[in-house]
Amino acid sequence: MAETTLGGAEALESFRREAQDAEMAFRARVLLCMTGCRSMGSMELAETFRTKLDAAGLSDEVEIVDAGCHGQCVLAPHVVVEPHGFLYGGVRPEDVDEIIETSLRQGKPVERLCQSVDGEPVSTVDEAPFYKGQQRLVLANCGKIDPTRIEDAIATGGYEALAKALAEMEPESVVSEVKDAGLRGRGGAGFPTGLKWELARRSSGEEKFLICNADEGDPGAFMDRALLEGVPHQVIEGMIIAAYAMGASKGFVYVRAEYPIAVEHVAIALKQARKRGLLGENILGSGFDFDIELRMGAGAFVCGEETALIASLEGDRGMPTARPPYPVESGYQGKPTSINNVETFANVPAIVLNGKDWYRGFGTEGSPGTKIFALAGRVNNTGLVEAPMGATLREMIYDVGGGIPNNRPFKAAQLGGPSGGCLPMKYLDLPIDYDSLKEAGAIMGSGGLIVMDESTCMVNIARYFLEFTQDESCGKCPPCRVGTRHMLDILDRISNGEGKMEDLEELERLAEHIQDASLCGLGQSAPNPVLTTLRYFRDEYIEHIQLGHCRASVCEGLVSAPCSHACPAQVNVPQYVGMVATGQLNAAVDVIRRRNPFVSVCGRVCDHPCQTRCRRADLDDPVAIRALKRYAADNATGLSQTVGPPASGTSEVAIVGSGPAGLSAAYFLALMGRRTVVFEKQPVAGGMLALGIPEYRLPKEALQRDIDFILRHGVELRTDATVESVEELKEKGYRAVFLATGAQEGRAMGIEGEELEGVEESLEYLRARGLGKEPKTGEQVVVIGGGNAAIDAARSAIRLGAAKVQILYRRTREEMPAYDEEIEEALNEGCELHELLAPNRVVGEDGKVTGIEMTRMELGEPDDSGRRRPVPIEGSEFVVECDMILPAIGQRASIEAASGLEITSWKTVKFDPVTLATSDIGVFSGGDVNNGGSTVIEAIADGQRAAVAIDRHLGGAGLLPPDVSMSIYRASDEELENATVQTPEPLLPVEERLDGFREVAFAFHPEGACAEASRCLRCDLEKVRS
Amino acid sequence: MGIPLIMVRAGLCQKEEDAVSVANTAESVDLAPAMHIVEEMSPVTSGDIIPLLQRIQEAYGYLPKDVVLRVCDETDLPASRVFGVATFYSQFSLRPQGRHLVRCCKGTACHVRGGQRVMDTLERTLNVTDGETTSDMAFSLETVACLGTCFLAPVVTVDDTYYGQVTPDRLRKVLAQYE
Repeated sequence: MAETTLGGAEALESFRREAQDAEMAFRARVLLCMTGCRSMGSMELAETFRTKLDAAGLSDEVEIVDAGCHGQCVLAPHVVVEPHGFLYGGVRPEDVDEIIETSLRQGKPVERLCQSVDGEPVSTVDEAPFYKGQQRLVLANCGKIDPTRIEDAIATGGYEALAKALAEMEPESVVSEVKDAGLRGRGGAGFPTGLKWELARRSSGEEKFLICNADEGDPGAFMDRALLEGVPHQVIEGMIIAAYAMGASKGFVYVRAEYPIAVEHVAIALKQARKRGLLGENILGSGFDFDIELRMGAGAFVCGEETALIASLEGDRGMPTARPPYPVESGYQGKPTSINNVETFANVPAIVLNGKDWYRGFGTEGSPGTKIFALAGRVNNTGLVEAPMGATLREMIYDVGGGIPNNRPFKAAQLGGPSGGCLPMKYLDLPIDYDSLKEAGAIMGSGGLIVMDESTCMVNIARYFLEFTQDESCGKCPPCRVGTRHMLDILDRISNGEGKMEDLEELERLAEHIQDASLCGLGQSAPNPVLTTLRYFRDEYIEHIQLGHCRASVCEGLVSAPCSHACPAQVNVPQYVGMVATGQLNAAVDVIRRRNPFVSVCGRVCDHPCQTRCRRADLDDPVAIRALKRYAADNATGLSQTVGPPASGTSEVAIVGSGPAGLSAAYFLALMGRRTVVFEKQPVAGGMLALGIPEYRLPKEALQRDIDFILRHGVELRTDATVESVEELKEKGYRAVFLATGAQEGRAMGIEGEELEGVEESLEYLRARGLGKEPKTGEQVVVIGGGNAAIDAARSAIRLGAAKVQILYRRTREEMPAYDEEIEEALNEGCELHELLAPNRVVGEDGKVTGIEMTRMELGEPDDSGRRRPVPIEGSEFVVECDMILPAIGQRASIEAASGLEITSWKTVKFDPVTLATSDIGVFSGGDVNNGGSTVIEAIADGQRAAVAIDRHLGGAGLLPPDVSMSIYRASDEELENATVQTPEPLLPVEERLDGFREVAFAFHPEGACAEASRCLRCDLEKVRS
Repeated sequence: MGIPLIMVRAGLCQKEEDAVSVANTAESVDLAPAMHIVEEMSPVTSGDIIPLLQRIQEAYGYLPKDVVLRVCDETDLPASRVFGVATFYSQFSLRPQGRHLVRCCKGTACHVRGGQRVMDTLERTLNVTDGETTSDMAFSLETVACLGTCFLAPVVTVDDTYYGQVTPDRLRKVLAQYE
């Protein structure tokens, strides 16, 4: 095409037709991202495509398009083959032959290169959930055209809106169209764009300026970069229209120097537009003059603030000035200036072309249109997402974003960068627009949406943002310069475990002053991340301050390895994993037992918070820590070896209850030289371990090994010994009492017919089996509930002869508190799971159960925990026939012996979270009695903490045994890189399980254990090594 | 140290190290590239300070003090103002840079995915802190506000090459490739 100036709308149209015809000459197109995907090798890929297409003689039929970002950055390098729309990710040069043969010659997808969703390959863009959930108006052409070719832009409708505005509309009518469309500034604050132009238009002065703010500095936002790189002409067109509307003669694009591709593409586009008469004098023959200069920012976050940006353009340090006067009156060189964001400009052409009513068809009343979000952090489909205003976080994170890696639970979403806030689970269903976000304490900001899961520490994230704003504070006004420094100092202290409770109020006080008194938006909004985390995640701050605990295992001053820190009992995990890798099993068991005496038990039934927090999970699978513990416990030869000499002397401490909390306390007290007496009302020791957890998960012998080990340290156990009250023990002369009576009783369903024969509370049922009785089991068993007790009862019932076992739960499997692997095995063993059913009444005949009437539920609005609340469907009642019902809907703390102690409204013992002290001096409580049902390892940790507190109470130092041996083994980098898959624990085949209570899981073979242990990254050694 | 501290107090330099560099006069550099830039950009006004400094830095790799002073003379721009700008923006460096520029992204996505550990490893491995250059002049290390490649988080760039999803282990290997 000739390099001529386009003299008017007609010339533009004929240029468009020519460009479209040239496109039509190709029967297929391969779209490659040449911007973001460059970092993953898309340039080499494009080279390979060109060479191979040439060789195949297809270069006249197939066009290779060096396109911009297509949004789904996780697939980089991202390839789309048109006309079919095949979508490929992670494409390597060696895949090109197959794409040419299969997709370009035969028109079929190469399935192995497609993204898989729920195990199924998704072969085209139209089918991909990532694109289905979006509304791509602004990004419509991004990733589809070559941004360095004005022909591509014009062929896809570029500059059509400009031609319309110049030929058919007065500047005022452009202003009112954009104003009525309700377009609000996409840079952050959401000021009405049309109004800004109107104000600038009305300001007196011959010369006016227009600035495109492309100093995208918000960490975690990259939509402006994608737009400038992918559709620079769209932004330029929006700018020219804006200039026409407000009457500007000169414009600037102020872009970050850190975006070299954006700088390059904008420079090319400006040159092309100028050459075609779309910039400069007499644009499209209309008599309107306007040109744009490209300026690179030199790296200062504060330049996102409009007055600072102007100072920077004028060659000064980027420091803001007080407003008013606003830039629309007195901006660049004291002249009226409108500053708008890249994405705002990119919205303009479509509004002018299609009109305000069309635009208002998208989004919400107060915030029409769409917004581009940069989805990043802990989410599967990281990338750019354009959604209508009013879409919810859940839609963006789960539908478009594909959820959180490893199915970890959502914790918070950070919106609006350092000026924004962290929103918790309860806002997952909040329709997002400017106003709703403000109300919740966040802001739209530039649209950065960082997803956080439980591996993110909220104190750390607040500290991170404040460190950023502190660093970027220009220093002009003291509230921002000094105030943020003070806040940061406080947060530093808290992250190091040196905080005080008063610090929290001090943070809020400082935040208020900084918000009120700072000169510009940077300072005014800097406290937001701290304030929202304090508002929604205050517990975490308190944990850091009071317990020195960071639940996400992030804060460096508190954490060496995340696994150990995540373990409530603080077992030195990397040490013993290293020892297993080198075959030192006795040493491994010794390391564990210095913090946890229940090595055989926890190797089998622990819910392994260590493993959940394992850093290896970020690379592939977490190290199978629990299985390694099991292997060590089952194979160590020195299992009977004690950790310290048995305690002697008189017993000064009484412990009520021989569950994991009680026995652990006794054990650690023994290691501190104190003899204890453990009172157990049942004939056997172990509490829930013996009478709650079925033997197929925890064989009696394994439990007994751990109990024997504990007793060898000089612990006296009295079974069949009921303690009526704490007073009774004090009268007998015990100087301290540890109450660990557990939560033995199940809750009643509270429905009609519960007294009928055949209804048996599941804990009773499990206890009968644990005591060696053969509990009577029905033919048709129904279990009500979704926790571990429900699954234990169901799997026991199927072993005890039930023909059919149905688990009925009022929410869905996703919300079940039971461990997922347990649910899986229950289903494997033939139990049925029916979701969204709530019990109504028990149906019976002759005093016996014949069925249970259930109501169908549907998921309604989410509750505060973010879980959607089940709501009954009216008239959906039906009867499930059965002859036995095992309700398992919760436990009740056993507080009978706690008479005289303060009790909470939840009917649990009131205790101090640090020392576990109760309201009575010398009496401590821990385990399930404190919280009405928790995990084994938490009970053990409580026992440990109680031992420390009791020893101190009695005048001791409360020291836990130090580690004596050490492992610095770590596999080589190569080995670590290759061992990507977790070794599975061998399981007993289902057909061999059901005729008894044989243990289902086996220990690793030695090779398996060594291989698995060698996958450990040894995070604890990281600081030592480099 | 008298002069640098005065400069810091006067707000001419934000950081003391910058002030020290300004005060240090023992440099001898070729002025020709700078003069050529000035000529090309002529007439240089105060509005051009940032583009001017950007081009000088591109030519020299950093902003040599003598060159900047000479450019101030040539353009009649006050040295106080030019150094004020040069020390305000993070892009400009008044000290020579290493042969390779290692940039560690401190964007939110990188932070959430372990960026701090990556930076710690870089600092320990190279034995420098943010903004410093190794004594053998091989590497300069800086943190950078979000690089906008959040899908690669955590990200480190060495010169123009991006390394995505880096771990401390991978990083040590990457650095070993450069000299």
